[in-house]
Amino acid sequence: MASATVDFETPPFERIVGEFGPLISRIAMTYEADPGLREDLVQHILLAVWQALPSFRGDASLKTFIARIAQNRSISYVARQVRQPPTAEIPEKLEADQNNPEEQAMQANEREVLISATRELPMPQRQVISLVLEGFTYPEIAEMLEIAPNALALRLSRAKTALKTILERTR
Amino acid sequence: MSEIDLDRLGDLWRASPDPAELAQLRRSAEAVRRRARLGQVTDFLLAGIVSAIVIALIVSNPRLETAALGGAAILAMLIGTIRQRRLREAELRTLAGSTEQMLDQTVARLQATVKRARFNLLSAAPAILIGIAFGWALDRGTGSPLLTRFSASPLTSLLVGSTLILIGIASVIHFTRALRRARHELRHIARLRDDFQSETDRTTD
Repeated sequence: MASATVDFETPPFERIVGEFGPLISRIAMTYEADPGLREDLVQHILLAVWQALPSFRGDASLKTFIARIAQNRSISYVARQVRQPPTAEIPEKLEADQNNPEEQAMQANEREVLISATRELPMPQRQVISLVLEGFTYPEIAEMLEIAPNALALRLSRAKTALKTILERTR
Repeated sequence: MSEIDLDRLGDLWRASPDPAELAQLRRSAEAVRRRARLGQVTDFLLAGIVSAIVIALIVSNPRLETAALGGAAILAMLIGTIRQRRLREAELRTLAGSTEQMLDQTVARLQATVKRARFNLLSAAPAILIGIAFGWALDRGTGSPLLTRFSASPLTSLLVGSTLILIGIASVIHFTRALRRARHELRHIARLRDDFQSETDRTTD
């Protein structure tokens, strides 16, 4: 992760991009398959984060704050697109590992399938699955979505079942 | 059927990102930050320039009417800026809130946009007619040299008339498109809000 390179002398926004850039990028990837539109979406998210940063009071973690903005911006962006979502799958690029290209290719393929499967989920389930995959704890997700923990458990259970069905279909 | 292993999928999901994509992200962030700062500076400079011009006009022409009009112009600009800032703050608050709240507020905003677009479209035709009638009345009644010169030349009359008609048609097309786009967006967002609402209902029943 890029967090290892974070320098506390750099201004906050640059530090945030260094630390949470991959998170923002993955959230955008969950909602937008088209690379051109995804780039546009990432810029929208970054602008929203830049503008919202002064209002961050530390009630939740910075990661939660940014993930929430990224999720909401992505959902409103995708929902407001006049076009239909693209049906063709666009392969995602992954870092090439020269030491073990075969294993890397398999992992890349598996990740590609996972991202595509996640995009097929209905929006509320996609949101909850992507937050779990991002490594947020259940209390953090419940707080972020403002739902009760048992409601989250039910939503997650349905999302897992749907994701499993899609993954099995694609194998 | 075995359960899916979310821990393993999470590791896969968070696998090392493409360095080129990260570099692109940093470039985007820098561009966004620069644009946003430029926007802030431009807003500030424009407000300063307009205020300076208004103040200079008042000083060079120190009359009650000039002062009142200049004051009103500065006040209008100030109110506009405060309103813009409040709108932006409200939008940011919704982004940092729950998704359902954000969708509710987006639906409310889009409903207002649809109403405004419908009003613009419906008022376009009467506005054009009133404009034509006003021009015709001026032409007939005042006999001002400029209008007389316009009506004396058939080519100028034709040019002005066709330009006005073209502007009218373009306005109607623009308002129709804006209305259609706003309705389309509203349908999408409302459907999405219903999806989230029904998911919440299913999980809280």
